[in-house]
Amino acid sequence: MSVQPATSSLPLTRRTRFGEIGLRGICGAAVVILVVVIAMLIWEVAHGAWLSFSTFGLGFITSTDWNVVTNQFGALYLLEGTLLTSVFALIIAVPTAIAIGLFLSELAPRVLRTPVGLMVELLAAIPSVILGLWGIVVLGPFVATEVEPWLNQHLGFIPLFSGYPSNAGVLPACLILTIMMIPIIASISRELFNSVPSELKQGALALGATRWEVMRQIAIPQVSGGLIAAVMLGFARAIGEAIAVAQVIGSHNASPFGSIFKPAATMASWIATQFNGTATDLQRSSLYYLAVILLVISLVTNIAAQLIVNRFRKRIGGRA
Amino acid sequence: MRKTWRLLAVSLAVGAVAAGAAACGSSSSSSGSSSGSTTSGSSSVLVGAGSTFVAPLVSQWEAAYVKTPAAVTITYGAVGSGGGVDAVTARSVDFGASDAPLTSDQVTACKSCVQIPWALGATTVDYNVKGAPNNLKLTGKVLADIFLGNIKQWNDPAIAALNPGVNLPSTHITPIYRSDGSGTSFVFTDYLSSVDPDWASKVGTSTQPTFPVGTGAEHSSGVIAAMQATDGGITYAETSYIAADNLDYALIQNAAGQYPKPTNSAVLAAAAVGTTRSDGTIKLVDPPASASAAYPLASYTYVIVPESSPKASTLRAFITWAISSAGQSLGEPIGYPPLPANVVSSNAMLIAKIK
Repeated sequence: MSVQPATSSLPLTRRTRFGEIGLRGICGAAVVILVVVIAMLIWEVAHGAWLSFSTFGLGFITSTDWNVVTNQFGALYLLEGTLLTSVFALIIAVPTAIAIGLFLSELAPRVLRTPVGLMVELLAAIPSVILGLWGIVVLGPFVATEVEPWLNQHLGFIPLFSGYPSNAGVLPACLILTIMMIPIIASISRELFNSVPSELKQGALALGATRWEVMRQIAIPQVSGGLIAAVMLGFARAIGEAIAVAQVIGSHNASPFGSIFKPAATMASWIATQFNGTATDLQRSSLYYLAVILLVISLVTNIAAQLIVNRFRKRIGGRA
Repeated sequence: MRKTWRLLAVSLAVGAVAAGAAACGSSSSSSGSSSGSTTSGSSSVLVGAGSTFVAPLVSQWEAAYVKTPAAVTITYGAVGSGGGVDAVTARSVDFGASDAPLTSDQVTACKSCVQIPWALGATTVDYNVKGAPNNLKLTGKVLADIFLGNIKQWNDPAIAALNPGVNLPSTHITPIYRSDGSGTSFVFTDYLSSVDPDWASKVGTSTQPTFPVGTGAEHSSGVIAAMQATDGGITYAETSYIAADNLDYALIQNAAGQYPKPTNSAVLAAAAVGTTRSDGTIKLVDPPASASAAYPLASYTYVIVPESSPKASTLRAFITWAISSAGQSLGEPIGYPPLPANVVSSNAMLIAKIK
């Protein structure tokens, strides 16, 4: 099958040439606009962070102060909050989402696939501020009256689950992030499992493999690269989520590792709550510095995702 | 196929030209005028933003001022004192409102803004404790210890000693504070710093202090909602919420040993003995013992206006009306006693600075 060359060997009429140039111009312009916007964003954030960076340097990342009165700022507790909430949410969300993806692609009766699939998409479409409001009104009190006392009773010897139950804290924030991650990872997993060539699955079944063995040894390894990319996508969404987290996490600059019942903060939620009405320039600049750290983490996450996906691609034998 | 491409190219080109024209148009108007979102030249609208403390009073003013001969429509966004300062610094609003004096950085950023005290009010300490009665008595030191995390339960001996004969449950105390830039936080921490040297050294006074324990929530409505949802919660907010939401509030001991309720007369007693700070703002918290009936958490709230504004005459007229008996009488029923006469007369000088 021959591929049509980009430039046709037919004589170019004036109309065709205009179309060629126009297409290239429009697409090129779109890319240029994108690059310019990204560059402007990075410049603005870096420029804003400069005062804080020149005052604190990299010590900002290891300092736990956040004090407007003494003008001392540090990101450590916020970093801990971001990482704990996102990783905790990942641990719950990833198996659940992959299970949903498998269910939708392999195990569900055909009549259930569309409605359940639609419901997963709907969950993804809920605006984060609505989830935050639901978190304050429903999830927070539920966690404080049912979940946290139960955890305290049965797992209270672990410091992470000790402490006084509270409406606002790390645990409701983790649960909200889990709810946000699941639809993203689940719909991508479903597409990935649907894309496994059926000859592979049917061949394995014909050789006597059980459905579980087909999943474990054929389907999942085949799509593991894509699954990792999906997980990274969910992770990126979680670390950047500001509004919904700000409403349920309690906005308190303290280490989340003390107890997940206690209020804490993530970098994104801290920026959201503190940015409006900063008292000193150094505080404002420190919030920009937090934004820089968030950007760096996002960049590292995306690059890591790309590398892992490429490595898995090579391992399976070059099949995209 | 070719026709589709041509159609696409033409429509995209038209779209690009339209977008460019719109961008050029809006950028020139925003760089040129300093009134931002309001229609330039028209002075029948004033846009303001800021303190939630004064928001109930401003909404009374909004309703009344449009009916006066001046017929100016006031639009006010209660985004918090910090947000109001940011907005007026960016000149995206005509006036800002804050309960806290501008910090030195904010003064520099605002570029010649004048702070005029335009209302008087009180911050109350509200709590939600199942099984405890209304009007529990607290001293400033005990309040500071609660918010420092030294006193953890409602039946702590320190609280019981102040409330003999009262049945206090052993509920855990959850301090709830403002997580956004808040003038009410400034007033509250100013009071605690005055009465407790421990608080002054550990936390200090600020619109966004680092509270050592507790949960943060945004805006007064947020802290009140959080307190109502938490058994054992205690927070601070302006007086108007008590009547509006039927809240339990604490009686705070003043320097004379009395426990005055936050009535208009108690606030006026505090205003009579206010001390002026170096930046011209007036401190009313923790009044001296000579004012025996003074409420210890009273405060002025300020309107922040750029000294040079395209709506100078409208602003001068509005602020003069607001601090006059016509404007101040609207505040009396909702917990904002009228400004003392000496403040009204010294304000005239500040208002004259707006050109």
